[in-house]
Formats: sequence, C-alpha cells, structure tokens
Amino acid sequence: MSLTLLEGALLLFVLACALGTALLKDTLAAVIAFAAYSLGISIIWLVLQAPDVGLTEAAVGAGIMTILFLLALANTVTPEVDTLFESVRWRTVFFVGGFVLVMAATVPSLPAIGDPTAPVVGGEVTQYYLENAKKETQVKNAVTAVLAAYRGFDTLGEAVVVFSAGVVALSVLRREVFA
Amino acid sequence: MSADDGPGLYVESTIIMTTVRVVAPFVLTFALFIMFHGADTPGGGFQGGVIAGSVVMMLAFAYGIDSTRQWVDVRVVAALASGGVLVFAGIGLGAMALGGNFLQYNVYEPYYYEASKYGIELVELGIGGIVASVAIGLFFLIAAGFGHVTGEGER
Repeated sequence: MSLTLLEGALLLFVLACALGTALLKDTLAAVIAFAAYSLGISIIWLVLQAPDVGLTEAAVGAGIMTILFLLALANTVTPEVDTLFESVRWRTVFFVGGFVLVMAATVPSLPAIGDPTAPVVGGEVTQYYLENAKKETQVKNAVTAVLAAYRGFDTLGEAVVVFSAGVVALSVLRREVFA
Repeated sequence: MSADDGPGLYVESTIIMTTVRVVAPFVLTFALFIMFHGADTPGGGFQGGVIAGSVVMMLAFAYGIDSTRQWVDVRVVAALASGGVLVFAGIGLGAMALGGNFLQYNVYEPYYYEASKYGIELVELGIGGIVASVAIGLFFLIAAGFGHVTGEGER
C-alpha cells in the first residue's frame, strides 16, 4: 500500500503531537498537545472507515479528557518551568526511536483501506457478522450488533466499569453526591 | 473554596454565553441522535453519552461551574448512572426469566415488534445514561477540588 498525502500528513501530525505530549515540560502545553493528538487519531479512524471508534476518540480523548485534565490543572499547583522541553537521555531516544522505526516499517505492508482481499475481511468471524448481523439482531450497524448483542456481556462489563469509576471517584474524594 | 474563586477560571463573556445558548440544543439533539440511532448509523450509547455530558460542561463553561452545579439536580445524575446499569442488567436478566440466555433479545419477540432492535436501542440508552452522568459527575467532582471535605456546596 502506498500512503496517500492525507494519510502521511496525519501520521506525521499524530507523531509530532505525541512527541509534544511526551516532551513539553509545561503541563498545560502537554495537555493541549494530547488533545491535538486525539483529534488526529480520530481523523485517522475516520480515514480507516471506522466512524464508531472515531466518534469515541473525538468525544472522549479530545473532548472530555482534555476538560478533566484542564480542570485538574486549575485545581493544582503548577510548578514554574524554565525550559521548553524535558531533558531526555540518549539511550531512551535510541530505544523509543528504534521502536517507532520498527512500527513505521510495518505501515507499507498494510493492505489498502477497504481492500476486499484484506485478511480481516476474508476472516470467518468477520464474514459471519457481516452476513448474519442484520438477520439475527435486526440492526443495520454491525458494530452495534457485535457490541450490544454478540458481545453484550462484555459491554455490560464495560458499562459497569464506567459506573464504578464514578462511584470510586466519589469514595476517593469522600463525597456523597456527584454535583 | 470552589473552582469559580480561582483567578481567571471563569470569565463571564456575552459571546460565549450567547454561543453556548444557541449551540447547546443542537449538541444535545446530536447526542440523542447518536444514542437513539446507534443501531443503524455509527455511534451508540458510549459516544452519545459523552456528547450529552459535554452539553453540561459547555453550560458550565459559559455560565460558571457553581451556578451549573446548582442547576443540575444531583438526584437525576445519580438516577441516570444507576438506572442505566439496572436497565442493561434488567434486559439481560429479563431474557433469562423468559427462558432464554442472558441478553438473548429475541425471547422478547412475542411481546414486542422487532424486539432485538429495540432491546439493543434500550441497552444503548442505558449505556448513554451511565456515561453521560459519570462524565458530568467526574467534571463536577474534579472542579470542586481535592483534599478537603466540605459541607457547603453539597445538597
């Protein structure tokens, strides 16, 4: 697969934002870089034709998480920073950079987006869902069918995890009501 | 101490207030669309719930966190969170009571038209309730600050 200009630009943007999040010493700047990173990733999901995941990433990663981080920053003491970037050891640069290079080397061998001969499309499980989801669950969105019907028990667990997060936050902050 | 006392955290701005007043109903409608229509279009309870929760954050951004905190009924927030879990688990257990497996939607078929579809929609709404209320709750909890137990501001 050859990268289109849009995909290449998005990958570079996400990499730059991730670097900014990790290296910027000012916490506020890092949070904003992280929000930009999430937005870039959500656009990548859209390009990869996964709008369900893209919506989640945009709403949770770029939206709610940023607001919660900013609120936490506003409620804590931010230390003065003298330099723009964190100091990094060369050994770390070597290993992390090597890892990124190895991952990037796999990008050209990925199948083209929407390729009908891609292994995941031909897979038995994928084909089963695509053929039977509408018939068996009466919903057109196969993602929702898998989420709420075929893997409904897992989703109940996920929902309870979110619920528990709220309860735990209440207990840790020693409050009895949410608002 | 509240977040609104912090210097510069809340700025009363006619532009922001007017914008939020105009935009908020549309965002809430979009959130409900994502939630209700998740069965046929991209989206679902998780995404719609977060967007619905962000409406309250938008209001807090425009009108101040404390006034929004007083406007939001904590009982509604708590009821949405626990009600969502109860709806989801209730649909699953109800299917077992009717002789099916856990979350086997089609055992409701004799009682309701397209039961699978509407069962899934209901589950998505439950998820949406949980996610929206926990997002709102975490927002207010973090905004209220840490490390001190206060009596004021709580109802």
